[in-house]
Amino acid sequence: MSEQIEAATLVEAVAAFMKSVEGELAGRSAFHAKVAANALAIVARELAQAPQAAEQAALAGYLGHEAGLDALRAELCGRLRAGQLTPETPGLLEALSEAVIAKVAVDNPRYATLARMQGA
Amino acid sequence: MTDPTPETVAALLSRAVAGDISVARIAALSGGAASATYAVDAQRAGQPWPLILQCAAAGGVSEGALPKADQAALQSLAGQHHIPVAEIIAVLRPQDALGEGFVMARIAGEALAPKWLKAEGYAAARAGLTVQCAQVLARLHAIPLAKVAGLALPGGRTGAARARMFALYRSFSVNSPVFDLAFAWLAERCGDAEPAAIVHGDFRSGNFIIDATGLAAVLDWELAHLGEGAEDLGWLCANAWRFGIWQKPVGGFGEREALYEAYAAAGGARVDRARAHMWEVWGTLRWGLACLQLGHDHVSGRVRSVERAAIGRRVSEVELDLLHLIRFGDI
Repeated sequence: MSEQIEAATLVEAVAAFMKSVEGELAGRSAFHAKVAANALAIVARELAQAPQAAEQAALAGYLGHEAGLDALRAELCGRLRAGQLTPETPGLLEALSEAVIAKVAVDNPRYATLARMQGA
Repeated sequence: MTDPTPETVAALLSRAVAGDISVARIAALSGGAASATYAVDAQRAGQPWPLILQCAAAGGVSEGALPKADQAALQSLAGQHHIPVAEIIAVLRPQDALGEGFVMARIAGEALAPKWLKAEGYAAARAGLTVQCAQVLARLHAIPLAKVAGLALPGGRTGAARARMFALYRSFSVNSPVFDLAFAWLAERCGDAEPAAIVHGDFRSGNFIIDATGLAAVLDWELAHLGEGAEDLGWLCANAWRFGIWQKPVGGFGEREALYEAYAAAGGARVDRARAHMWEVWGTLRWGLACLQLGHDHVSGRVRSVERAAIGRRVSEVELDLLHLIRFGDI
C-alpha cells in the first residue's frame, strides 16, 4: 500500500458520511443523497474491478490488435457505421457482451439482465 | 413568463368555465425536462376541484415539438375516442403570461409505477391492465389521420426517424459500439414506411394513473407523433419500464401474446412478431439515447445534477439489454 488513505478508503469514508446524514434530509435532497450514495458505490466498484481494462481486452482480442480503449471503441463504431462489421459478423456479439458485462457488473451488479447474460 | 399564482390561475379558469371559482393553493410537482407541472387545489361552486396545470418548461416547446395547445387538443380527441384521459379544462393564452400550457382534471389514483406494480392492493388492477392497454392503443391507432390534420404532430417516414435518432446519438460525441450495432441492426429491418397512425410516443407504466379497477388515465401526450402503431407496443415492452419485474415483458405486468391478441381483438392490426421485436429494439435504443442525453445535460453544464450524472451510467444497462434482444430475440 503506497498511501495510508487510498482512493477506495476515501470513497468508503464519504459513503459512510452520506449514510449518517441521510436521515437529516427530506424530499428532493434525501432522494439526491441516495443517488449520490449509489454513485459512490459505483466508484468503489470501478476502483476494485477495473472494468475498462476488461473492456479493452475484449475489444482488442476481437480486433486482433492492441490500442487504447477510446481508439478501440472508435474503430469498432467506425467499422459498424461503414458496414464493414454487421450484427451477423461472427464473434462480434460475443465480444461486445464480454465488454458490457464487465461494465454493468460495476454500474449495477443487481441488474437482472446481467445474471441472464452471464448464464447465457 | 411568470410563475403561476392562485390569482392568475383562477382568472384563466373563470374565462374557461362559468360559475364561482377560486384557487386555494398551487404546488409544483417534479417536472420532466420539457414541462413544469403543478397541482392546483381549486374550488368550483363551493366544491373541491382538483386540477393539474402543465406549462412548457421554457415558456414554449422546443423546435419541432408538439405545441401545448395541440397536445391538449389531441388529449381531448383521445377522450372522445373512449381513451381514459384527464379532461382538458382550459388552454393557456398569451395574456395569461404563463407561456404555453393547459389545465386539466387531476385524476385520483396511483401514478408511481413501482407502487402499483408491486402492491397487493393493485392485483386486480394489474390483472386487467394488459387488455386495457391493448384496447387504448387499438382505439388510438384507429383514429383517422384526417382528424388531426390541423395539429402540428411531428413525424415522418420510419427511415427518417431512424436517421434523426442516429444524428442525436452522434451529437453527444460518444462512441458506443453496441449502439452503433443496434443502429445497423435497425437499418436492415425498420424499412421506410409512411406514417399511418397517431402514436402516443411515451405509452409506458410510468405514464399511467392506476386505480383499483385498472387504467384510470393515460398521461403525457407531449411526445405524440405520426408513425407506425406498433411503435407504442414496443415502447410499452422496453425493459426500463418493467421496474425490475423483467419476467413480465408488458410493462412489468403482462405477457406479449396477451397484449397482441387483445390489440387485434379490439380492432388493431394483427401484430407481426418480428416487427414488434424490431420496435422493442428501437424503444430500448431510444431509452439509451435518453440516458446519454441526461448524462450530457450534466457534462455540458446545461443541468448539473447528480441524478442526471448517475442516469448517464445506465447506458451500460441499455447496451446489455440491446445485446440480449439482438442475440436471443427477446428480453
